[in-house]
This record gives sequence, structure tokens and C-alpha cells, in this order.
Amino acid sequence: MRSDRVRLIVSLALLVAAVVAMLLPGGRPATGIAKLFSRVKLGLDLSGGVRLEYRVDIEKGTENPSAVVDDVWTVLRNRLDSAGYTEAVVKKSFRENNSFIIIEIPDATDTTKAEKLVGSTGLLWFGQSVDERDTDPTLNPDDVNLALREGAQWYPDKDGKKWYLIKKEINNRKDLTLSGPRIIEAVPRIDQKGVAYYVVSFTLDRQFVEIFKNITKELYVPEQVLGAGSTQYQLALKKRLAIVLDDKVQFVGFVVSPIEDGKGQIRGNFTFDEAKELAAILRSGALPARLEKTTASLVSPTLGKDVLQQSLNAGIIGAILVMVYMIIFYGVMGIVAVIGIFYALIIIFGFLSGTGAILTLPGIAGIIFTIGTLVDGNIIIYERIKEEIRAGKTPKAAIEVAFSRTLWTLFDANLTTIIAALFLYYFGTGTIKGFAITTIVGIFASMFMNLVFSKFLLDAMSGAIRVRKAGGAQ
Amino acid sequence: MKIDFVGKRNYFIALSLVLIVVSLISIFTKGFNVGLEFIGGSELVIKTTDNHTVADVRSKISGIRPEFEKARIIEVHALGQADQRTFSILVSPKDEKGALRTYNAEEKAEISSKVEEALNGKVVSFNEVSGDAADEIKNLTWKAVVFTLLGILVYVALRFKFAFGIGAIIALIHDVIITLGFYSIFGIEMNIAAIAAVLTLVGYSVNDTIVVFDRIRELGRKFKGKDIASVVNDSINSIIIRTINTSLTTFFTILMLLLLSTGSIKSFAFGMTIGVVIGTYSSIFIASPIVIKWVKSI
Repeated sequence: MRSDRVRLIVSLALLVAAVVAMLLPGGRPATGIAKLFSRVKLGLDLSGGVRLEYRVDIEKGTENPSAVVDDVWTVLRNRLDSAGYTEAVVKKSFRENNSFIIIEIPDATDTTKAEKLVGSTGLLWFGQSVDERDTDPTLNPDDVNLALREGAQWYPDKDGKKWYLIKKEINNRKDLTLSGPRIIEAVPRIDQKGVAYYVVSFTLDRQFVEIFKNITKELYVPEQVLGAGSTQYQLALKKRLAIVLDDKVQFVGFVVSPIEDGKGQIRGNFTFDEAKELAAILRSGALPARLEKTTASLVSPTLGKDVLQQSLNAGIIGAILVMVYMIIFYGVMGIVAVIGIFYALIIIFGFLSGTGAILTLPGIAGIIFTIGTLVDGNIIIYERIKEEIRAGKTPKAAIEVAFSRTLWTLFDANLTTIIAALFLYYFGTGTIKGFAITTIVGIFASMFMNLVFSKFLLDAMSGAIRVRKAGGAQ
Repeated sequence: MKIDFVGKRNYFIALSLVLIVVSLISIFTKGFNVGLEFIGGSELVIKTTDNHTVADVRSKISGIRPEFEKARIIEVHALGQADQRTFSILVSPKDEKGALRTYNAEEKAEISSKVEEALNGKVVSFNEVSGDAADEIKNLTWKAVVFTLLGILVYVALRFKFAFGIGAIIALIHDVIITLGFYSIFGIEMNIAAIAAVLTLVGYSVNDTIVVFDRIRELGRKFKGKDIASVVNDSINSIIIRTINTSLTTFFTILMLLLLSTGSIKSFAFGMTIGVVIGTYSSIFIASPIVIKWVKSI
């Protein structure tokens, strides 16, 4: 049948895509069957990862130190979440009158990226750049004096290759400073001017929009001035807006139109990852205390390797029992169910490999659950087929009727589950998200298997389906 | 052979009410045996040159104190120290009321020397840490719960009838409360794995209820005008083999896990075992009677 050929082609295409995603290079080193899963990122509970410990440097005399630690915790949690480390764990620890923050990041082998994200204080401020140098000006007495005269300070850029002389008070107006504003939105975007790079565009909280508008008005330079005579240009050079994060200059540029909506952009030839991290830091706000790194180490699975092995064994035995039961109870049709289980598993792991989503213990729970719904879907279809055959239809006709009748049953049952999982994904964090992801993917995979690939397989095997008048099939 | 499922529905509703009340009482008075992932505890870090595996460490230290049986043991590879093994052992000591307590200095010294003896190593630190999963629950606030329930209600109401949506949601809440009640009554540890089990139960319960509803919808259309109670009873009877087979296959996997696993996975297997039974029961005896009560005809 023509429609069966379409079903086969679509099913095989999906299978090939999943296998390719699993076999792409870049996974953990592995041999044999394990190679298939080498690209699946595992959570801290399953694979271990990097553990960083920081001492929270709380100023003496702070009224409520534990509140500061709580704030630090919240900022770091937000930062890790918005940089995509949703599975990272942030813990507080106390010893010898000191507070510590422990961060555990799953499946990571390199600590530098995470350290940059966590270690950054995240204090953002805006200033006026009045001069710049290509060599370290703090070593040059003339430049040091210049800074004193201007009432400004030299700050290096993020690569440490350029230095800018920056005033915090715009045009020496005490009322025009902007430090540590709340940022309601910060997202990485493709740089419209230099296609290969990314910029970070941000939106200030409403209460900072007015001051930002006044600052940009004060620093406003008409565009024609930039092209005009050199004296005017030299004057304009002293009126550039500087965006500084953690005392490192992120951006210096002319304000060619006053910004009234509190929206701005930081350009700086960022890669996507750099832009994403910078956006995460901006969004989560500044840390209320400095962090001092005390240890960095790699840790083994938090669930315990012994526990993992037992669970894996239990899972395999359980799966075999299910398969045997299905074949005993449904005969030839049971074989389709067995093929379906393997098919759905490959699709799920292909998706995890391809997207880099992290697999945790709740994620595995999600997979077990979706395999359950897959088997359930099979059972619903097979019971229907048996019913129709008992009512006197040929196996081929029974399959047709059974599929058209059960289509909406499975559709409603699965879509309701997906709706629930979507809300869990949206509102949950960390491990709950992990459960939601595998559930959503798994349900789609099992729905596809049940409604498309099984139909093809059953049609192909219809000649071998036998049904006794009552009870099981043979 | 036809079984009268709906005729005795009031008995089952009464049974469920009893279970729910008992569960709620236990949850609010006895509370949960909260695992160290949520409440944290005391972390002991030991360095040793002996070649222990995590399983060795577990068997060697489990006798020290009751809470050590459920210790979270992690091997830490300190960067640049290949010849030494470092283990982090996290335990949650509880007082008589089941609340987390901290060890006093003498207890710490005593435990340290016992662990050092058992593993032939040196304890390098022993301090209190916060739980790392507490935020999971804090973040899964009423918003998530309300919106998830609302999402299910709206979808089921649109695809079926409003009463079906109410039935599905009440069955769901019923299942979650009773499962949580079992955790509380039997003192099974509440941890991330238990949360995963409850989440899985949510999916299972909804899925199972919808399959029953679908059959009620189909038979209701086929036999228009027939008494709703007998339509529901016929529906349940016509898919009873499917219900049994699905529950059994799920049960196999979970039972294996319950028998063969230890530690936090056992909490998962426990919740799933209860969940499968309760989820199947509620779609037949709770969700369907609500539909009978509210709907005169399909």
C-alpha cells in the first residue's frame, strides 16, 4: 500500500536521524554499545561533575550575614539557570564562622567557564569615557596625573588590551550616575553589523529609564559631527558612553540618539556562548558579596555508582519481563511492541544526544513512564484488533478499524500528559525540568511509534495474526 | 462476563475518603521522612590511600550510626592528587522528633575516629551543609500546580465535557494525596527520586483516566439515550483487559526496581508501586462515578 510506504520512509528517516545524532563525534570516550550513549549528557546524580567551593566574603559588621548568603545563593542560581546550567546544584555551607557556597556542575570536566560565570560579581555601571590608551596607563606618570586632573579612573577592557579613562559622574554632574541598575531583560542577539558575532541587548527596569535617558542626552553626539572636522570629533571622543562590568570595560561608543526606552546594546565581538553568559550575569544582577574560590575538584556520581548498577540491572530485567509478557499474551503483535520499545528508546536518546539536554534520575523516570505509555498504547490497539477480529473482520480490516478508532484515544491521553509536562517544564527547575523533557520527547516518540511505525509493521505481519475466540492471541 | 463496577461506587468513594483523610492527618502530624537532598546534613570528607570503591565505603561505614546507612557517598577527585582517594560522606542525623540536628563536638570526634579506622584514612573536614534540592520544591510553587491542573481541566473539558475534566483532576489530586500519605505513613524517605515518582504518577493517572473516559465517550455516542451508569460500567468492562495488562507490565518493571535497588531509588520504586495501583483504581472507581453524577447523557 502506498500509505504504508510513506509510513516506512518517515519512520526510517527518523530512526536514521536519531542514530546519526547519537554517533556524531564529541562524546565521552567509550567502547562497544556504550559508544551509542557517549553523547548523552548525564546529570550530577548519574555521572558526577565539577565541584567548586567559594568562601562568601561578608564585610564585618554586616547586620544579617545569613541574608547576604541567601541573596548570593539566589543570584548564582539565577545566573546558572539563565546560562543553561539548570542541572547545576548550589548549596550553602557553614564552618568556622565562615559561609561557603558550593556549586556542583554535572558532566563538566573544565572548570574555567563555570568559574567565570560564578566568580564575576556582576556589578554593572555606566560612565563617560574621556580618553583611551593602548598600553597600561597606570605605569605612565603623565596618564596617572591626567586621571587625577579629570577626576576619573583608568579601567582595562575585558581582554586587557585597551584602557579607558572613565568618569562615573557624567559631565561631572553628581546627579548623573548609574550603577547596579536592575535589568529586566538581557538576551544575546546576532550582531547586525558583523554577522559572525553576537551582541547583548538589555532593557533597564522602569525606575532607571529616566536617568539612563538623561545620561544619553548629556552624551548625545549628532551623527554628522562624527564625520565633520577633527576638532569637533576630538571633543566628541571625550563624550563616549562606557558600559563597565566588574570594573572591566565591556563597551565604549558614541550615543548617536538619546535612548528613551531604557533599551541598549553591548557590542564586543562576543561568541554566542560569551554573549549568553554576559546576558545571564546582567539578568541575575550583582552579587551582594565577593566570592573567594577555596577549592575546585571533580566528583563521582552523587547517586553512588553501586546504586546505579543495581538500578540498571533492575531496569533491564523489568524490560525483559515486559517484552516476554507482551509476546506471550499478544503473539506476533507482541513482537511489534518489542520493536517499538527499542525504536522509541533510540528516538529519545537520539534527541538527548542531538540537543545536549541533560539526563538525570528523574529524566530516566520520565523514560520509564513513556515506555509504559508506549506499551499501554500497544495494548489498547491490540485489544481493539482482537475485538474486531472476534466480531468477524479479517486481520487486515481489523487493523484498519482499530487504528482509526484508537487514534483519538491515544491522541487525547498523550496530549493531556504532554500538557502537564509542559507546565512542569515551564515552572519547574533542575531535576523537574529533566523529568519534563524526557517525558515530552518520550511521549512524542511513543505516539509516533504507535500510530505510524506500528501500523506499518502490523500491516506487514497481518497474515500471521491469529485470534482465539476468547482470551489471548496466538 | 460483566462485572458491576459502578454499582458499589459509594463504597469505593467512602474508602477513598478514608484514605485521603488518613493521608492528610499523617502528612500534617507525622510529616515526611525528608531525605538529605532536601534538608542537608553533616558532610565528612576523608582522604585515604586505600583502594576503596563507593560500595566498599558504604558497607564499611553503614554500621557506625543508623543515619550512615543512608549516607550519600561521593568520590571526589581533587585536582592534582591521583594517588589519594577522597570521599565525601553526607549524612542527615535526626533528633527524636525527626528533625535535622547537628553533631556536637564530641560526637564529631567519635564519628571521625570510627570512620578513619574503618577506611584507614584521615578526615579532613566535617561540617554542616544545606540541602541542594530544597529549591526544587520551593520553585514548584502553587503556580505550577494550579496551572498544570488548569491545563488538564481545559483540555479535557474541550475534548470531552466539563464534568470529565473535573473527574480527571479530582482523580489526580486523589492519587497524589494518597501516594504522599503512604510516604508519610510508612516513613519512606522523601527525596528527588520520590518527587520523580510523584511526577510520573501524575502522568500515569491522567493517561489512565483519559483512556477510560475515551471509551465512555465512544460507547455513550454509540448507545445514545442509554442510562449513563450502565454506559460507564460497560466501558470499564470493555477495557478491563487493557487496564490489567497495562498495570501488570508497569508493575513488573517497578517491582524489579523495588526488589533489587537500594538507597534513594527505593523511594522511587515505592512511590511508583503505590501510584500504579492507586492510579488504576481511581480512573475506574473515582473519576468515572464523578462523570456519572454530573452527566445525564453523553
